[in-house]
Amino acid sequence: MCLISSERCGERGWFKYMIMEQCQLERLILVGNMGFTKAATALSQLLHKQITLRLPEVKMIEFAAVTEVIGEAGEPQVVVFLRVDGEIPGKMALFFPLASAEFMAQTLVATDDDLNLFENQLAQSALMEVGNILVSSFVWALADKTGFAISPSTPAIAIDMAGAALDAILVEDGVLDDNVLLLSTVIEGSSSLQGQFLFFPSAGSLEKLLEALAL
Amino acid sequence: MTETINVGMADYKITYSPTSLAVVGLGSCIAVCIYDLHRNIGGLAHIMLPTAQGTLRGERKKYADSAIELMLEELYKQGARREHLLAKIAGGAQMFAFSGASSVLNIGVRNIEVVEQELKRHHIPLKAKDVGGRFGRTVNFDVASGTLRVRTVNQGEKVI
Repeated sequence: MCLISSERCGERGWFKYMIMEQCQLERLILVGNMGFTKAATALSQLLHKQITLRLPEVKMIEFAAVTEVIGEAGEPQVVVFLRVDGEIPGKMALFFPLASAEFMAQTLVATDDDLNLFENQLAQSALMEVGNILVSSFVWALADKTGFAISPSTPAIAIDMAGAALDAILVEDGVLDDNVLLLSTVIEGSSSLQGQFLFFPSAGSLEKLLEALAL
Repeated sequence: MTETINVGMADYKITYSPTSLAVVGLGSCIAVCIYDLHRNIGGLAHIMLPTAQGTLRGERKKYADSAIELMLEELYKQGARREHLLAKIAGGAQMFAFSGASSVLNIGVRNIEVVEQELKRHHIPLKAKDVGGRFGRTVNFDVASGTLRVRTVNQGEKVI
């Protein structure tokens, strides 16, 4: 198995394609797994519930194909989005089905009542905090392993069509490569808690990450 | 049932009536519909960004300026007449707002500006629009009548 990666080079916007070696891919999955595991532990502690994350997938895909990763584009989901700033910048997003998000919000605000996530500000803050904790844990694990200075931004939330949230995330900084690198995992608590955790390193971040990991 | 063709990100599709063109889950992207009722032909471009920044262009159908141009060429090739062309647009929302960020780059708003500017440059009247806001949209464009149906999760449904 190998992965094709592109990097921007030169002033004319040429794409240089490189084939990532198996060992590099494995290292990336390993470091992704480490970050995601830290995040899962943090979420378990927050919710007092066993949370597991699947072994991460690393993919270089056309941006249009990212839509397939998040499920039905027209279905509403709770999406928490953070930017990662610093030496290996990127974007992180969490996609939760409404029922899973409601379950987490109920746990965090300590209620069994139905919560209208679209309107309940407290529930929304709690869910942003979930995003904050997951992403911070991931980022700290990554910083710890690589020595890079990176930090997450404050979280932003959208409770809306998954596809609409995704396109806004993809184009947020006003540029979009034809191919995006995606590090993703699936959150599995129980049937009541599911979600997806996506990391899009910015152009150039992947190479830096691989270099640091090779040492 | 009329047939519906889904138009993916950074793509455009052209069709004849009675077919419809649709985009599911538009955020800051914009669906640009351009049609000729006399010839029963119309197209929908699903644009993502206003213009190419610097030198990084890549796929031309991503950008408002080049996508509209490409779609127009194709429409003319397939028989549409410039004097009959009309446009309707939807999308350009700001899905996320970061608290405390002073100068947030709002791509949705930039997309709307550039799409309107490009339509003007090509002398195509903008008949109707449903743009901006903080919510996603699913749109369905009926080429036969030129009606654009816009559905949202919480903001109801509109026909423009």
